[in-house]
Amino acid sequence: MDIVDIAVAVMVVCGLIFFTGGAVGILRFPDFYSRLHPAGKLDTGGSFFMLGALALFNLEAFSLQTLLVSLKILLIVVFVFLSSPTAIHGIVDAGVRAGLSPWTKGEKRR
Amino acid sequence: MKFLGIIVVVITGALLVYTTGDFPSWSDPASPASTHVSPHYIEKGMHETAAPNIVTAVLADYRGFDTLFETTVVFCAGVVCFFLLRIPGRSPFTECQYRHKATGITVRVKHDRKMSGSFGEFERIDTLWTPHDLIIQTACRILIPFIQLFALYVIAHGHHSPGGGFQGGVILGASIILLAISHDLRTALDRLGEKAHAILCSVGVLVYAGTGAVCMVLGFNFLDYGALARILHVDPVMARSHGILVVEVGVGLAVMAALIWIYSNVSSRGNYDEGL
Repeated sequence: MDIVDIAVAVMVVCGLIFFTGGAVGILRFPDFYSRLHPAGKLDTGGSFFMLGALALFNLEAFSLQTLLVSLKILLIVVFVFLSSPTAIHGIVDAGVRAGLSPWTKGEKRR
Repeated sequence: MKFLGIIVVVITGALLVYTTGDFPSWSDPASPASTHVSPHYIEKGMHETAAPNIVTAVLADYRGFDTLFETTVVFCAGVVCFFLLRIPGRSPFTECQYRHKATGITVRVKHDRKMSGSFGEFERIDTLWTPHDLIIQTACRILIPFIQLFALYVIAHGHHSPGGGFQGGVILGASIILLAISHDLRTALDRLGEKAHAILCSVGVLVYAGTGAVCMVLGFNFLDYGALARILHVDPVMARSHGILVVEVGVGLAVMAALIWIYSNVSSRGNYDEGL
């Protein structure tokens, strides 16, 4: 059990925590906007940790080929970081323009 | 009438369910499909077509006719959408909205034929959907080239990995539709116009059918890519591999153009002016 394995395990667990939090948040938050918040943030963070762990695990047998594969995995992270928050921003923007008012404390869940 | 319809549906369904009793049981090793055809594809596919991905070999070579007519169906969908929806002539909107690029002030102008596009410091915006979102536009502008690059990879790499003409074509079409959604339809049409949709869609099918015709001219069967060995100066097995690639490119073109064609017609209600 060397240091890389421990780092990979820690990252996978972190990713799982993020994904779990995201799933619970999407189900439990009270309204449209607050449900989109975990959908955007925790999914992006979760995939960052998961894919980062994959890239790191793949690098253990170091060669040019595994390095290229790891770079490709990191490229996926980059694109998820670009596209997922943009999509959530667009959805929230559409909600505001359609006139949906945000939930405030004391109101009923919607 | 409705009652009659339900009876017909129930009887047809019952007949279909009844005939499933005659099928060979699930994954039966003695069924005709797994005694003749499948073993041949699995054992000899690589030697006969030089395509490691059996799915691609079956789709584009052994069952090339099937795929040719699938492509034709996609083409027909595009053409039918065009004939049903396209309204030639002027826009039904009597007023246009323009945005001053520097200040973001919007102006409403009575429709004038000369002023239908963007001009000077003003850009035309849609009457029904006007948001100008810098974040989405910039993110899409960064992402679209990569999406298109990936689509070309999917088309070209169909021999070795999951992918091929249909998938790559859909990704290519989606990238242009993403441009239309993030900016507006006119921006997408400036990049790839209506004529280009029609021509590319037909050219895609023509490339596929033309490859088959070339094989016939060279004295082989329709879509028997081994015939291309004489033109390409390679052995017949590699010629079949290259033939699959040519056909995949045709499929990709047809699918991409048909998707964009259908999208522009549906989203702008056929007048190609304002749409999401």
